[in-house]
Amino acid sequence: MTASSSAFAAAPAGGSPTGAAAINTTGLCKRYGDTTALDQLDLTVNAGEVYGYLGPNGAGKTTTIRLLLGLHRPSSGRAEVFGVDAWSEPVTAHRRVAYVAGEPFLWPSLTGRETLEFLANLHGDTDAAYCDELVERFQLDDRRKVRALSKGNRQKVALIAALATRADLLLLDEPTSGLDPLMEVAFRVCVQEAKERGQTIFLSSHILSEVEALCDRVGILRDGRLVDEGTLGELRHLAAQTVEVTFEDGTPELPPLEGVSVLAAGPKALRLSVSGDIGPLIVALAKHPITSLTSREPSLEEIFLHHYDGSEPGGHR
Amino acid sequence: MATDSAALAAGHRPRREAGGGIARGRALVARALRDARVRTLSFAYLFALFAYIQPVGFRSGFPTLSDRAAFARSFGDNKAVRIFYGEPHNIIDVTGYTAWRVGGTLAIFAGVFGLFAAVRALRTEEDTGRMELVLAGGVGRGTSFAAALTAVAVTVVVLWVAEFAGFAVAGLPLGGSAYLALATASVAPVCAGVGALASQLAPSRRVALELGGAVVGVLFVLRVIADTANGLGWLRWTTPFGWAEELRPFAGARPLVLVLPILATVLLLAAAWRLAATRDIGTGLLASRDSADPRLGLLSSPVAQTLRSERASLLIWAASAGAFAYILGLLAKSSSSAGISKSLNRAIGKLGSGTITTPVGYVGFAFIFFILVVSLFACAQIGAARHEEAEGRLETVLALAVGRRHWLTGRLLLALAGAAVISLVCGLLTWLGVQSGGAAISLPKLLEASANCLPVTIFFLGLAALAFAVVPRASAGIAYGLVALAFLWDLVGSLLDVPSWVVKLTPFAHVGLVPAQAFETTDAMVMALIGVSAALLALWAFGRRDLIGH
Repeated sequence: MTASSSAFAAAPAGGSPTGAAAINTTGLCKRYGDTTALDQLDLTVNAGEVYGYLGPNGAGKTTTIRLLLGLHRPSSGRAEVFGVDAWSEPVTAHRRVAYVAGEPFLWPSLTGRETLEFLANLHGDTDAAYCDELVERFQLDDRRKVRALSKGNRQKVALIAALATRADLLLLDEPTSGLDPLMEVAFRVCVQEAKERGQTIFLSSHILSEVEALCDRVGILRDGRLVDEGTLGELRHLAAQTVEVTFEDGTPELPPLEGVSVLAAGPKALRLSVSGDIGPLIVALAKHPITSLTSREPSLEEIFLHHYDGSEPGGHR
Repeated sequence: MATDSAALAAGHRPRREAGGGIARGRALVARALRDARVRTLSFAYLFALFAYIQPVGFRSGFPTLSDRAAFARSFGDNKAVRIFYGEPHNIIDVTGYTAWRVGGTLAIFAGVFGLFAAVRALRTEEDTGRMELVLAGGVGRGTSFAAALTAVAVTVVVLWVAEFAGFAVAGLPLGGSAYLALATASVAPVCAGVGALASQLAPSRRVALELGGAVVGVLFVLRVIADTANGLGWLRWTTPFGWAEELRPFAGARPLVLVLPILATVLLLAAAWRLAATRDIGTGLLASRDSADPRLGLLSSPVAQTLRSERASLLIWAASAGAFAYILGLLAKSSSSAGISKSLNRAIGKLGSGTITTPVGYVGFAFIFFILVVSLFACAQIGAARHEEAEGRLETVLALAVGRRHWLTGRLLLALAGAAVISLVCGLLTWLGVQSGGAAISLPKLLEASANCLPVTIFFLGLAALAFAVVPRASAGIAYGLVALAFLWDLVGSLLDVPSWVVKLTPFAHVGLVPAQAFETTDAMVMALIGVSAALLALWAFGRRDLIGH
């Protein structure tokens, strides 16, 4: 996905059959003893949206999903899925939800096929033909017992089971951990298809390229708080872009400009960081003979690191 | 600077390498002991307590020589009692009596302990992948194997000392006490050897326990046959449980017999090591099928799937309890009241044995044992439910359209149904045994005895469920602990002169000894009611808590 296309990304399609947002949390808090895992989370994900939920290990991503599934109980606040309270009416909520955990916890003595059958029975509504197609696509040997599967292959079983439900909301918690690059591609294709069908996808991840490629909107979580949220375009707007210029004769002296700083200077080249309006810089550069000029919007990684810079060593990857 | 650090590194290196193997081995032993401490201390407590109360109880139950003589006479020929305790020697004396009552029973516990400890230290470590980590960290296979078994040996010594301390505090002669405790404990290393060998053969912990359990079970049955069947006494020499008897503590000790358990342990461990040294880590020598055609039965609901995964274990419980019930029924006829006075009969009753001088009385007494077994099965089911949660699989289930209360209700009903099946099997097989043995107890009476197992089971199942709902991590320990405490409470309470209301605190004091006595309807209903209330409370509490991993 290029920078320009994301800047013009269509506004998320709103409105579900019941009119409620796919996910809605208000003032959601979770404390475990003295630790605050999640602090006043207000989050809305509209139906049909692909939402990327970013944060390093321990930021509260999995806690959020457990609260959305009603597996853990909110210390305060509310979590709703399609307008249904996640804690008090989990079964009603789960009929429209499918979940893939970061660590696939399955039954060692069941084969892949038996597991898919069991999970389909528990969900109650699964597209069997699509399930078979997914087994093909992910090249799963479904005769093998779970105990003999590698982590990546167990992850495939969980993913296939979730995707085959065609649930209105997919809650995916680092779903590609353990998948090889080929299967990661297959996963992205499936998510795109799900999106085209109008399914909502909540993708918790710390694989930034994945989020960048798939998500309409991104939220960044830090120490249990949502520190930034928006479309990729919006997030990029706030961060600086990088401009590289090569000169014909030698690097000239540029006047001091607001929001522009020099990152590196060579005899015939400059690398600049520009936040805000790029116009004044272009005007200043136009006075000099230039052989090339490239401008690169910040990657999600740079945005992400910007939020974590220097304050939490553990959070850096 | 660079030379400094090089010198520093060089200075460190020889020291670390010199102590490396032993230091690492020591670290592994410490780790394994930490792992085993709760189990070891619980067993040690049980051993010490049991060793203490039996001589004390004997002295208070049979204060005079004539009491003791009569007791010895009546038990000399009572084969039914020998099932539990083995062949009696010199039971006219407190030492002989203690050796008989304690030695036989604790030998069984020592055997189970040895098996579990070895499988835990070897197979479970491998199953979880931890052994791979250890071996990757520069520890040799030999060190790892030796460290695991050293830890087991240390825990066995702890049991030995605990049992010895119990005897010593009760005032038995010190030397004899140490020897008796040694005889009991000698079963543990042999069974640990069985467990170590099974750990090499089996591809998983569960299979290793089943395999080892089957072997230990056969060894136990050999001892039972040797002690009860005419002319088969020599079978005692084929089993560690028999060797423990042939050591003859307090009855003309034969310490040379100790060579047998030592030799057996060495051979078993050598065989286990031969296999361990050559096979791939994480596999067993018995092939495990990793691929299979799908069998889609019993996958329609969490309850169905639980039945699917627990049915093998249910079968083992029912089969072993049933086999035992059959033998009990078979031998019931040898219980006789010849030479037992009324007052002596009462005294035997005080030993927690009820009226065991008639076949029907004996079966009634034996059913207390089945009530214990079925209650332990209920605990095991709660343990399995907790395991499902700890392993994260419950999260997988509850993230689907399954309600938690619905799930727990299903689990509890299934546990109850399993308990009912085991009880029924016990009743039926006792009846079959009674039929073959020639005693006269009717089938309806024995089915009533089966039904009599359930109120206590419901009581413990409810409390175990409550523990699961409120303190999930400790739930299995609490459940088993409650049952063991309640069972021993009856024994301790009836021996020491405590007020009757204290004795009555345990559900085992409220059980009618069916078929010898009447079914205690009121007490049974109260116990069932407490169990059901606890279960309802558990459902409510479980609906309100977070799911908790390991």
